[in-house]
Amino acid sequence: MNNYLLSKKIVINDFSTFYSFLIGLSIGITIGSIILLVQGQNPIEVFSLMLRLSIGSINSISSSLNKAIPLILAGLGISIINSVKLWNIGAEGQIFMGGIVLNFIYISYEISNPNLSIIVLLLSAFIGGAICILLPALAKVIFGVNEIITTLLFNYIIIGFTVYLVNGPWKDPNSLNFPAATYVGKEVYLPVVFGKLSYGFIICLLCTVGVHYLKEKSVFGYELRISGGSALTAIYAGINAKQKTFIAMLIGGGLAGLAGGIELLSQTHRVSTGLSQGFGYTAIIVAAITGMRPLGIFLVGSLFGALTIGGTVIQTMGVSSYIADVIQATTLFGALISQFFFTYKIKRVIENV
Amino acid sequence: MNQKLLEVKNIYKSFGKIQALNNVDFYLYKGKIHGLLGENGAGKSSLMNILSGIYQPESGSIHIDGKRVKKLNPDIAARFGIGMVHQEFRLINNFSIKDNLTLSKSNIYTDNFQEAFEKYSDIFTLSRDSSTPIKELSIGEKQKIEIMKLIFNNNKIMLLDEPTSVLTPQETNQLKLSLQKLSNEDNKAIVLITHKLKEIQEFTQSIFVLKDGVMVAKNLNTQNVTKNDLITLMMGEIKESKISKNNRKGRNKLEVESIFFENIHSNVPTLKNISLKIKAGEILGIAGVSGNGQVELANIISGIERNYKGKVIVNGKNISNQGVRARKNLNLSYIPENRLGVGLAPGVSIIDNSAIKDYFKSRLGPHLSSNKMLDYLNLLIKQFSIKAPDPKADVSTLSGGNMQKLLMGRELISNPEVIIAAQPTRGLDINAVEALQKLIIKQRDSGSAIMLISEDLDELFKLSDRIIVLYEGQIVKEFNIDEADIENVGLAMAGSNE
Repeated sequence: MNNYLLSKKIVINDFSTFYSFLIGLSIGITIGSIILLVQGQNPIEVFSLMLRLSIGSINSISSSLNKAIPLILAGLGISIINSVKLWNIGAEGQIFMGGIVLNFIYISYEISNPNLSIIVLLLSAFIGGAICILLPALAKVIFGVNEIITTLLFNYIIIGFTVYLVNGPWKDPNSLNFPAATYVGKEVYLPVVFGKLSYGFIICLLCTVGVHYLKEKSVFGYELRISGGSALTAIYAGINAKQKTFIAMLIGGGLAGLAGGIELLSQTHRVSTGLSQGFGYTAIIVAAITGMRPLGIFLVGSLFGALTIGGTVIQTMGVSSYIADVIQATTLFGALISQFFFTYKIKRVIENV
Repeated sequence: MNQKLLEVKNIYKSFGKIQALNNVDFYLYKGKIHGLLGENGAGKSSLMNILSGIYQPESGSIHIDGKRVKKLNPDIAARFGIGMVHQEFRLINNFSIKDNLTLSKSNIYTDNFQEAFEKYSDIFTLSRDSSTPIKELSIGEKQKIEIMKLIFNNNKIMLLDEPTSVLTPQETNQLKLSLQKLSNEDNKAIVLITHKLKEIQEFTQSIFVLKDGVMVAKNLNTQNVTKNDLITLMMGEIKESKISKNNRKGRNKLEVESIFFENIHSNVPTLKNISLKIKAGEILGIAGVSGNGQVELANIISGIERNYKGKVIVNGKNISNQGVRARKNLNLSYIPENRLGVGLAPGVSIIDNSAIKDYFKSRLGPHLSSNKMLDYLNLLIKQFSIKAPDPKADVSTLSGGNMQKLLMGRELISNPEVIIAAQPTRGLDINAVEALQKLIIKQRDSGSAIMLISEDLDELFKLSDRIIVLYEGQIVKEFNIDEADIENVGLAMAGSNE
């Protein structure tokens, strides 16, 4: 009888995540090409158009990076929560909640200095995201409730809440019956760095460096790693694992909320159901592909932003924009499978009785 | 003599480098209760798992009713009527008693269930309706249902793995009567696996003894053997200790005063009035079968368990109300029994694991210096000759011996005042055991007060200056090493109080 035994490799190549991303990406592009061929399109033509329209000019590059901001920030939030081996599936809801709390502060308080106002509003977006994950975090550390379920379900609650707000109390009377809140004033729009690129990107860069530091170089990150490895070891080491987990979850939710705030102040300028276009879910893909590494999230998030822009513009050729989604999803699939082969070796065992 | 119902011959089974069963013979008769005695790790469970078809032996033959059986898997074993009650119950908690008893396809009382249920309820003195869900039963009642399940599945051979470990003395006595009825009236062949001498003498008619994978005694007539015979068989002769006991002892470094502890989940008192003192340069051995309060005592002294009555004093300072971190700062080290899972975090890198005790010394505000951590790991690797492939590799990839060296090195490098070491050498090969025991002795000679918890009597006799025996959460005996002998310690471990 032949059996196969899986064993973890002792030394895992430092670049294995990067290699498996490349392998995954080529699988994604291959499958995307096959679908395009079946549809009677020339994949080379489609892809080169996508490239040109997503990174071919300053304007297109800045659009792509703008799209990348929410992916990266929400991805960083997922990554920091995953330090304790927990999954935040609720980034989508946290993005909306960031926008909602921002708008609430905006309409409730008047701050004359626009720069100060922007800072306060972005902080309130961060707090909004943290509020959104507060109950799942409490349920996790007090009762051990599975955070995957609770964070996921909160998406539906928050999106329902958004629909209520934009059809009810916050509905803009001038929106021609389109369900959306009133626009925020131009004075709190995020300024641009160049082209269309908003200052959100600078915040995003700082957050990437910050999360990288927090996860890899700080005492807090260390304590999260030990707590994630074994709760009993954490108790043995005198680490308050529940407290650290709670804080990590709030920071993670806050980062997704901040993504919602930046999106509102730089792109949509108002709360509507279109505030996030599935960024919170795509961010899970981004974080998973990179093995939760902050710098990787930054790079892959940028690439996925470009893919999304490219996907939108090829619609003019009569190609469905879903081709970008297909590539993103198959890239994740391919990357996870190849990551498996980088992590484990498979041995054939011959058993003789 | 009647015919052997089941016989296995020349069984070999190994797990990696460890020879679990070495040329083992074992056989059973109808209508008899057999005892299988042995220390933890002697191979009892491996043998039972082979009989119930869960493990395949590397070589050896299996005969049932005189006929050779080529291969035994759980399915075939069930067809031959071999059934086992495991230490962890395998009942479905939300199902009724009836559903659990009739779940298996081999169950024989489908039509006349009620009649059979009443008959065996009587034998087991169970007064429950068959529609009661399992989750409403007490542990003792669940045990009864587990054994009844074997009967309902028409098992002729019943293997019971430590059935009394969860029972009160009264329930144990009741179980004895029920099993005797089953063997007499239903002609069942029963195997009782245990390390409790008292029970093996009261329950069984025939005794087998396993030691280190070798069957050292077969089919002994229970009436003709004494407790002392069994202890000698089970534990073997103690090797002459080669370690000098001329160590100089100083003042008391660890004092524990009348500790009482109750497990909140079961409300069973797990520690009763424990008081002990350990001097500088002294090793106090804690003997006892596992589960008699050792882990709880170690957790209380190290500060992990805070919910107890009593005092813990280190160097004259009462630390009863202090947490783990404060006790670490007083240079108290704890080497837990569960090395991967408590002492070391699986899935986390070697370098992260090496810093668990002292990581706050590599910190600068919120910053953790990875250079300092690496220096620290390299120091451990050098000083304790640890073979570690890559600091970033998962700690689970280390061999057992290297894992334990990393753990002990981490806990000992600061030259601790007090050391709690639980099962520091369990499951390791002889070279690693030697190296680690030397470390403990070195630490003794540099003035640490050491509490050594071990189930290995060889080790306790070799290293300790005094031995305390824990049984059911109480200190039942205390010996100075020169007046201790293996028989007395063994008897005290088995709960015998003469």
